[in-house]
Amino acid sequence: MTDHVVLRVIGKLLIPFILAYGLYVQAHGDFGPGGGFQAGVIVAAGLILYGLIHGVAATQRVVPPRLVEALAAVGVLIYAGVGVVTLVLGGNFLGYGALDHSPSHGQHTGVFLVELGVGVAVASVMLAIFYAFASRKPIASGGGRR
Amino acid sequence: MFVPVVIAVVLTMGMALVRALCGPTLYDRILALNMFGTVTVMLLSVSAFVAGRPDFLDIAMVYALMNFIGTTAVLKYFRYGDLGGTGHDVEPTRPEGEALR
Repeated sequence: MTDHVVLRVIGKLLIPFILAYGLYVQAHGDFGPGGGFQAGVIVAAGLILYGLIHGVAATQRVVPPRLVEALAAVGVLIYAGVGVVTLVLGGNFLGYGALDHSPSHGQHTGVFLVELGVGVAVASVMLAIFYAFASRKPIASGGGRR
Repeated sequence: MFVPVVIAVVLTMGMALVRALCGPTLYDRILALNMFGTVTVMLLSVSAFVAGRPDFLDIAMVYALMNFIGTTAVLKYFRYGDLGGTGHDVEPTRPEGEALR
């Protein structure tokens, strides 16, 4: 929809702030509403807005589907990896206290890393859902246009 | 203080829903849903202000954002019948002046 000047300009103005807001929600989850899931959804929403304006092909040039699939797995890997690291360091699975000298510091680090994993996984899965929906070819002969 | 404001805002949301349910054309419905979202943002902001919880403003911002993206997506789908295309106007899809229902 690059013919629509308002949408194109507003999208160009808005998308960087949406991505920055996603990072804010990701990092600010300790003190306010937010966390990995919400941050992932917001980051994916920014990319989906780009996809709506410029088409899904342009979005797939920015974030290829292979990268999306890999990042979805990497997010889960970060989450489970933190658990395995705490196990190796002598704690329970996902017992963040073992990550640092003092348990409260360890919990800070652990929750941050786990939320990072959730954010990466959710953002890529949301984007994968958008790709699956938007890559679908429209029904021929103008059907469904009501 | 809080209750009259909430009553007024919820009344506005109800009227927007009525317009969305029985709007004669598609654009009435889309505009009503967009306005419903905007009024929801207002409700969230009012409750943030009155309850003294500025956290809610974050949620209101996200809601406004999702409202914009959702409306854009619905409009694009109904205009081009395709969510992922580049959406160029290649040919007129319907005779001039025919209303969408």
